[in-house]
Amino acid sequence: MARVRLEHVTKRYDDQGDVVTAVDDMNLDIAHGEFICFVGPSGCGKSTTMETIAGLTIPTEGEIYIGDREVTNLPPKDRGIAMVFQNIALFPHMDVYDNISFGLRLRDYPQDEIDRRVERAADIVQLEGMLNRMPEEMSGGQRQRVAIARAIVREPDVFLMDEPLANLDAKLKVHMRTELQRLHKELDTTIIYVTHDQEEAMTLSDRIAVLDSGQLQQIDPPLTCYNEPDNLFVAGFIGSPSMNFVEGTVTETTLETPNFSLEFNPSSIEGVGVGDNVTLGIRPEDIYPGDLQSEVPDPSGMITATTDILEPMGDEIFAYLLLGDGETSMSQELATNDQLLMSIDPDSDLEEDEELGVVIDRRNVHLFDSATGEAIVHDLIPYEAEGTASSSEVESDD
Amino acid sequence: MATSTDTQEQSSDGPLQRWTQSAIQDPEKVYRALFYAAMVFFLVTTLFPFYWLIVLAVTPEGNLLSGSFLPTVNLFGVSGTFPLPVPKGFNPGAFVTVFEQVPFHLYMLNSFALAVTTTVIVLFVASLAGYVFGRLRFPGRALLMLGILAISYFPPAAFVIPLFQAFAGNAPITIPFTSIPLFTPPRLLNTPGSMVLPFSALFMPLSIFILTTFYGQIPDGLEDAARVEGTTRLGALFRVIMPLSAPGVATAAVLTFIAVYNEYFFSSIMATSPEAAKWSPIVGGILSYQTQYTTQFNLMAAASIVGVLPVVILVIVAQERIVSGLTSGALKE
Repeated sequence: MARVRLEHVTKRYDDQGDVVTAVDDMNLDIAHGEFICFVGPSGCGKSTTMETIAGLTIPTEGEIYIGDREVTNLPPKDRGIAMVFQNIALFPHMDVYDNISFGLRLRDYPQDEIDRRVERAADIVQLEGMLNRMPEEMSGGQRQRVAIARAIVREPDVFLMDEPLANLDAKLKVHMRTELQRLHKELDTTIIYVTHDQEEAMTLSDRIAVLDSGQLQQIDPPLTCYNEPDNLFVAGFIGSPSMNFVEGTVTETTLETPNFSLEFNPSSIEGVGVGDNVTLGIRPEDIYPGDLQSEVPDPSGMITATTDILEPMGDEIFAYLLLGDGETSMSQELATNDQLLMSIDPDSDLEEDEELGVVIDRRNVHLFDSATGEAIVHDLIPYEAEGTASSSEVESDD
Repeated sequence: MATSTDTQEQSSDGPLQRWTQSAIQDPEKVYRALFYAAMVFFLVTTLFPFYWLIVLAVTPEGNLLSGSFLPTVNLFGVSGTFPLPVPKGFNPGAFVTVFEQVPFHLYMLNSFALAVTTTVIVLFVASLAGYVFGRLRFPGRALLMLGILAISYFPPAAFVIPLFQAFAGNAPITIPFTSIPLFTPPRLLNTPGSMVLPFSALFMPLSIFILTTFYGQIPDGLEDAARVEGTTRLGALFRVIMPLSAPGVATAAVLTFIAVYNEYFFSSIMATSPEAAKWSPIVGGILSYQTQYTTQFNLMAAASIVGVLPVVILVIVAQERIVSGLTSGALKE
């Protein structure tokens, strides 16, 4: 049973006098057989965390357990792990058979056992008949499968995958993604998977660990991360295109933002007081054109906006809406007060530079504390709502 | 010369001008010409000494000092001096006499054994050093590397006297400027130890430098992969990094081998007399055809040719690797 635990793992680098903290007091408990994704922007410490689990990097502080053993200072070879690398890292001077059997040969397995295992691994990743090829004679996808075969042939307790699909083209990526899921079902081992691609993380994992600046932001099942993000970072990172953020102030009956206001009852929500500065988070799919107002369960009042740019994606259209005086703000701030991104039906006959009214589904408006970024609530229920169904959804975090 | 050109367009131009014209249009032509000129120059300067050795070797000893190696030829009434030396007589037996007169094969064996031992030691130690310098980041790395290179610029002669004293083994090594003894080294003169040790030290910096460059280019991912698969750092060095740096390793090996195989300065001093039993190398053997009263130039030439053959074979075999090693260290993942 390979449960993986990280306790207070911290990794600091000394970069010519400047101390860089790559991983900051990381605590994780990963169950046996779980498929977990580390996701975050580049430089967030996800690869470093994985390297500490692999033993390629020794943490500055903290302990790592694999199964019942403490492995913090063990070399990689004694940890019962296998790893698939972002750059694939097949040994170029060995053919596929030698690459796959490398670890087994190092451990002096009997030849027939090696043959049997290589055969089976090649079978799982569909590489039959290619065992004599050199890596340079193979395509990217085939090499990736060799790398995976090399990892599974040792029957490790834990699989570590460091952006294994990053160098593949889009089509192959989707294909390999399904193969990985199939593999996980077949092997029943713990898989820790690093990616910067939140879509990959959403589709693959049992739980997502969202990391930023070396700190764990949230670890939850994908849909929880999507629907109930713990803080502004997770809310902005999970979901593509990302959530709209608008700054607002709480009044007695409304939430005032620079360009519109939403009615709600502050007293019904724990942790919100009149006069508080909050940040609203609204997913693009929770904004509707005004003519659909009747279909929205808890619509806001009509908000006047002008379409700026339309991005047809085929199954939906992303419409950039300008609010207020219609000035496009080019700020890099997280909150874009004058702009909203709306996802609409592809059959919609919306034109660019068209004035329209939109409504926001208040049930799915997230509120964050502007100062700390922590989530306050994930649905804003209106004061007058007869909302019997929705009242139970009120939830406040931490 | 220019008389027959009037059929052509540029009839007024001389051949040089015409050649210049076409060279401007096609600069490749000039480069080719320059390339051949340089080639011929280097071929002549490197191959002529060998030719001269062969001429000397097959000339019978009695004929060596009489007459000229440049014969006078009489061709259709015109007589002149042939511009290339030719043997005066033909005595291939010199190549056999070489081994009869002196146990030359033993001298060759000495050189070979010294060269192989040194190469193995140098490759092993320089691999470790190359791994550290090429792949690890630690404070003082650049300074250490600089120190190694700086020491390699010291003239070898600077080390001879202290080393000879040490290897003589009859006086204790003292702390500099005092008479406090540290230890008395064993007597190493006339043994391979007294030669392999300084050779290894002298040729190490070059190999370290070559291997550092090569090992530094192997992607980290490959080493990480090897370590995760079950090697130690050292295992990864010898199983993955070294095989992938084969051109660099071959270059370092061949350069070290040739340098030691041809070495004379240290070995002539560390072997107190040019005897095969005292580990005197090839050059010592060649010099023993010279006695107080006679110098057998033909045998010395023959011995030189025989002695150089192993290196020629080595270079031909390893040529491809050396060339790719010297010109490119590029390695695709």
